[in-house]
Amino acid sequence: MTRFAHAIREELWSRGRLLESRLEHGEALGDETGILARDARDDALVAACDRELERLRAAMPEDALVRLVAEASLEEISSAMTVRVGPLSIVTDAVHVERDMDLLRRSRTLRSDAGLQAPDPSVPLLWLHGSAAVLLHEAAGHAQEHGHDPLTLPAWLRIDIPLRLRRATFRDVPLLRMSRVLVSQNGAPFDVPSDPVEVHLVEGGAYEPLTGMVTVRVAAAEHRGLPVAPFEIHVHRNAIRFLGASGDPIRYPGVICSREGQELVVGSWAPLLLTELT
Amino acid sequence: MIYRKEGAVVRWENGVLVRVSESGVAIEEGERFECRPEGSSRLAVDPAGVLALAQTIQERATPIVIERLIVTHGVAEHECEGRRWREETQRFHLSLTHGALRALIDATPERLDDVAPIAAALSRAATVERTAPQRLRLAPHVAAALLPGLSDVARIFQTAGGLDGYGKPIVATSGAPWPNWYRPSYRMRPVRMPLNVSIEADSAWIDDALPRALALLAPPAGNTARVLIVDGAEVYPSTIRVERVAGVASERFWYPYAGGSFGAEMVL
Repeated sequence: MTRFAHAIREELWSRGRLLESRLEHGEALGDETGILARDARDDALVAACDRELERLRAAMPEDALVRLVAEASLEEISSAMTVRVGPLSIVTDAVHVERDMDLLRRSRTLRSDAGLQAPDPSVPLLWLHGSAAVLLHEAAGHAQEHGHDPLTLPAWLRIDIPLRLRRATFRDVPLLRMSRVLVSQNGAPFDVPSDPVEVHLVEGGAYEPLTGMVTVRVAAAEHRGLPVAPFEIHVHRNAIRFLGASGDPIRYPGVICSREGQELVVGSWAPLLLTELT
Repeated sequence: MIYRKEGAVVRWENGVLVRVSESGVAIEEGERFECRPEGSSRLAVDPAGVLALAQTIQERATPIVIERLIVTHGVAEHECEGRRWREETQRFHLSLTHGALRALIDATPERLDDVAPIAAALSRAATVERTAPQRLRLAPHVAAALLPGLSDVARIFQTAGGLDGYGKPIVATSGAPWPNWYRPSYRMRPVRMPLNVSIEADSAWIDDALPRALALLAPPAGNTARVLIVDGAEVYPSTIRVERVAGVASERFWYPYAGGSFGAEMVL
């Protein structure tokens, strides 16, 4: 018999006004006959959520649409803050929100001009701010969840994506999911071509397990110093060429992964990475 | 506005039987929405029906690979502003795969007969995408999935019957502002939208000789959908864009798309 129990506090704020507030709690008992789930309350878990939510509230920006989520389970306490300004959003936390908001505001300047052109798909992409973690989340992480072959990587590139059984709520069936994506490099070449497209912020992505196709929606990018229109990369996972990388892994603020209707935060780190789509 | 709900659901999800009971309250005050668990549910559902339905669907889908099968049976009691009502729902979601193709079906047990023809067609489908024929029939569940996105190209209306998320009667009407509200969970703020949509056309005549879009290969986007077309002995994937509806059969079937959708055999 397994037992899972958790509590979740969620709030939606718009420019400092509270619009929505949710409390959710429950437990799931699992055995060979299935899962028995009910909305039982564990006061200690609810209290832990309240403390975590307070930390988020104290750190949240006032000039944005902000969703705060604090969760306490028997295993861990976690929290996430989704901040939307205009068409762009990040997923951050109380510790990193200030730095991540700088990235969001800088990226917004890349979205301010109408009528921008999407880049030529053959131009190499330089993934900044850890955004390459999203590409590898789709191309390597989801493929791993489906038991597909590992990506062929250059010797200097390492991907560490541990999987574990996770569930979004006590009502859900636990699935083997990514707990984090850590991309690192050791001795990588870094001969940056003269005019790569620089990816700043990614809006989302997908992996199609039937075909191996990877989709990444780039929300903010620039080319030759000028903003480019939001664009979508749609490529087979084996058609991604890793040309080079630089520096330590950078925490990317932005991965809420949805699979089977269950949304989970996946911590993501990657160095500057240069790719080409063949 | 205070809304209370208690319920129980049995769900068979890819081989795992899940039994859930919960009850909660949602409070709307001006622009603010708040919800939390409250009390405990006295309701229960016998899992036998869900287990039997899951077994039947698996048999009908043979020999096609089932990527995902979710069968649910739920009961709920609602209360809002002195109105009390009870609901019972049964649904299934099925995803079938063959090579790189995936067929999707969302339906009720009454539409179980949709499954076997889709599985059979998928098993002999070509993989190469082809241009859709100019004139085409849509199977009822394909039409039902597309209906909510057809308001710009067809006369879409809400069908009277049942109660909405505030326990108010769903009335017959067409066009915004829609008078009724959708509330699939007490944790979700109600959304004003058309419920149990249907479509009007000048003709109910269906030419049975036309090629037929038998299955959805992806969720529709507006008036566009990727579908599996059966044209005589040929079965192939194609993308259709609905720009004009020439005929809709009079027999309608309810499907759980958006706030409910009455599908019918349809001619484009």
